[in-house]
Parts: sequence; C-alpha cells; structure tokens
Amino acid sequence: MLRIHVLAGQALVWRFEDAREIRERHRLVGTLVGALARTPRQNVRLGLPLQLLPEEARLLAEMGAAVLVRSADAQPQGQSAQASEGQLYEQGLEESYQEQRRLAAQERWAQLANLAECIAQGRARKQQQRGKLPDTAPLPGPTEEQEHLESAFVFPHESMMVQLPTVWPCPGQEEQVDWTQPSRDWPHAGHQEHETRYCVFRDLWGRGYYVTSGSKFGGDFLVYPGDPMRFHAHYIALCCPPGAPLPLCDIVAAARLGTSVKKTVLLCSAGEDGVVIYTSLQWSGLQ
Amino acid sequence: MATHPKFTEMMSMDVADSTQVYAAFLVYLDLLEGRNWPEVTCFGLGELQLVCLQGRERETESFQVVVPTPVHMSFSHERIREIMKKACAQLDKPDSPLSVILAIVESDSTIVYYKLTDGFIMPDPPDDTEDKDNKQWRKKRKKLFK
Repeated sequence: MLRIHVLAGQALVWRFEDAREIRERHRLVGTLVGALARTPRQNVRLGLPLQLLPEEARLLAEMGAAVLVRSADAQPQGQSAQASEGQLYEQGLEESYQEQRRLAAQERWAQLANLAECIAQGRARKQQQRGKLPDTAPLPGPTEEQEHLESAFVFPHESMMVQLPTVWPCPGQEEQVDWTQPSRDWPHAGHQEHETRYCVFRDLWGRGYYVTSGSKFGGDFLVYPGDPMRFHAHYIALCCPPGAPLPLCDIVAAARLGTSVKKTVLLCSAGEDGVVIYTSLQWSGLQ
Repeated sequence: MATHPKFTEMMSMDVADSTQVYAAFLVYLDLLEGRNWPEVTCFGLGELQLVCLQGRERETESFQVVVPTPVHMSFSHERIREIMKKACAQLDKPDSPLSVILAIVESDSTIVYYKLTDGFIMPDPPDDTEDKDNKQWRKKRKKLFK
C-alpha cells in the first residue's frame, strides 16, 4: 500500500519505491520538490519528496492503491525533549569527529612508514650536500614519532564528513486520514472547485492521457499523450464549474497563449451525471 | 453605416440588442471585404438573442458558422455549448463534429477569430528544429574551414 503523507493540504510521497510505482504503474507524475543533498543551490533537478496534486492523491486513495496518513506528533514537543535531541546530535557529531581524526592520523602514519626508507635516504643526501658528517644523534624511535604525529596531527573540522539522512531516521506515530471528510490536513473534500477539477482529472486520466498541473501555462491541467519525459503536452485544460461565466477576454488570453505554444485549449465541464464535455479552442487566422 | 441594407436587415430580424447586431455587422464587413469570403449570409438565433453569420472561405470549402460577439460579454461553458448546437443545426450537416468560429469584436473594431470544436482537436506538431539546427551547423562549419 502506497503511503501519502498529507500536511496542510499538501500531499507528499517520501518513499522512492512508492514514487516509482505511482509513475510506472498508475501513470501519475506529480512533481519532485526536495532539494538534492549534494547540489542544494539549484532547482533544475530535484529529488524526493514527490508532491502530488490533491486530485492525484485522491485518485490513488479512491482506487484503494494508497492511504493518506499524517504524523500524529506534528505538534511541537516539550522544550526539554527538543533540547536533549539537540544535545544527542551534538554529542554524536563530536564522537564522529574524534573517530575520523584517529583514523586519519593512522592512515598518515601508515603512509609515512611506507615511505620511511625514501625519507631516510633523502635526509642523508641533503646532509652530504651540505658537507656535514652524517648525524650521529640517534633518530627518534618509531613509537615516539607516532605519538608525536598523533598529538600534532591537524584535522580541521571542515574536513569532517557529516552524514545527512535521506530518510527520517526516527519516524513517529502516523494516523490515517479519511479523504472523504474535510480536515485540517485534507481540506479539499467537498470543495466545489476540487470536485470539478477531480471529475475532469479522472476522466482525462481514464482516457489514457498523462495529466500534470497546468500552472505553467495558466490552466488547470496539462494533458500529455504519453509520458511527459517523451512528449509535449497537447492540451491545456481549463475546468469550468457549471454555470460559471467565462469572460471573453480570458478565453482570448488562454487560446492565444495555447496557440503560441502549439497546444489546444480545452474547456472542460462536468455534468450532473459525471459525464465530462470538452470543447477545443484554437486561434483561427482566417487568412 | 446605419443605412447599410445588411445592417437594416440584421436590425429588422429583431433577435438581439444593438451592440450584438453592430458586432455582427462589423464581422460581416470584415469577412467580405477584409478576408475576401465569396459569400456571407446572416441568420438569427432568437432563443439565444444572437445574429450569426454563415459563409465559406473559398468556393471549394464547406460552410462555417461565425458567431459575432462584443468583447465585454461573458459566456458560460453551457451557453457556448448551446450556441454550438443551435448554430450548427442551421448548417444541416448532422454527421460533422460541432464547430463554430467565435468572432470577438473589440470596441476599436479589432476582430479576432477563435475556432470552437466539440471534443479533442490535436494541435499542429511543433516546428521541426532539425532544419534550423542544420543551418546553424553549416554556418559553424563554414567558420571553422575559413
């Protein structure tokens, strides 16, 4: 069962297996909205979580393929609990630093030991060049040298590796959300606008199209004949609630934009019986 | 202009208010004079309070219905569907898909035409960029071999 986390009306999928199944099996696209840990200062490519349109989340829930959940302990915890969590984290960081410093020093020592012969030869040659007699003073013993190295070894804090968890390390309690009832985290149920959009969305999806959010082109949905990675969108869908007046300037604006990006604007209305009617709108030059 | 025989004919149909009739008349002139349509006739849709036009771009093409309207109007999707149904009934072509041309008239008599069709109409395929790329590539190559 897919798990869709809802928070203040947003639907998010955090597990990559779920995100993959949603796309490959259910033909739903959503948008990746998470920053990538290694390239945080760009938004060309993003990672998990996958954000779903309310319509996509509802479709999955209605099919029985997914459950909507919300974390039960979303309320801020007591001050003490937070403080101890922070302390634990700091402590863990410090331990990790000490361990990494010890390992780095060991590695450095092993490197020096490997090159010991070369270093000794080099020293002797230099002293010969300066015309000095070979130093007769005894060289420091290897154990002494190692101790000296470990105490003087410089390992800056910036060079330390820090693990960034890509999944929540300690998931809390989750409770299921009923998508048929409006609630704080799922306010869409019963909304006129959501119902209209959902009817249109389900019908288009049912016809085999891929449907994504249409905000890029000022519509409600973009309708693709296949996977959006491989196809241009064919249609910009505008959902018209029954009886709502459409100013002609808006129709002109939508249709002109659609024509300039080589897409057809679709006026979509859902009737009382759930049947959706479509009207294609195209600029006509009449030249 | 008020004495133009077509305008008086449209007014005498007495189906729409004067702004819509005026819009219809402007579209009528634009189609005949601006776009050289060979013939344009008008008919009234009483229950929708519209004067509509009917004509064809060339002698060889089929007739189309043009629905003129001033730009400040608002139509609901239901009303658009109704107009399409009623207007296409005039064409007497029951098997062809419902389709009308909406002519939107600005106050400065600018007219834009939009085609409304029932169902899904595939858009034109996007421009083939291959040609352009080839040209650019040839330019590049020329530069290199200079």
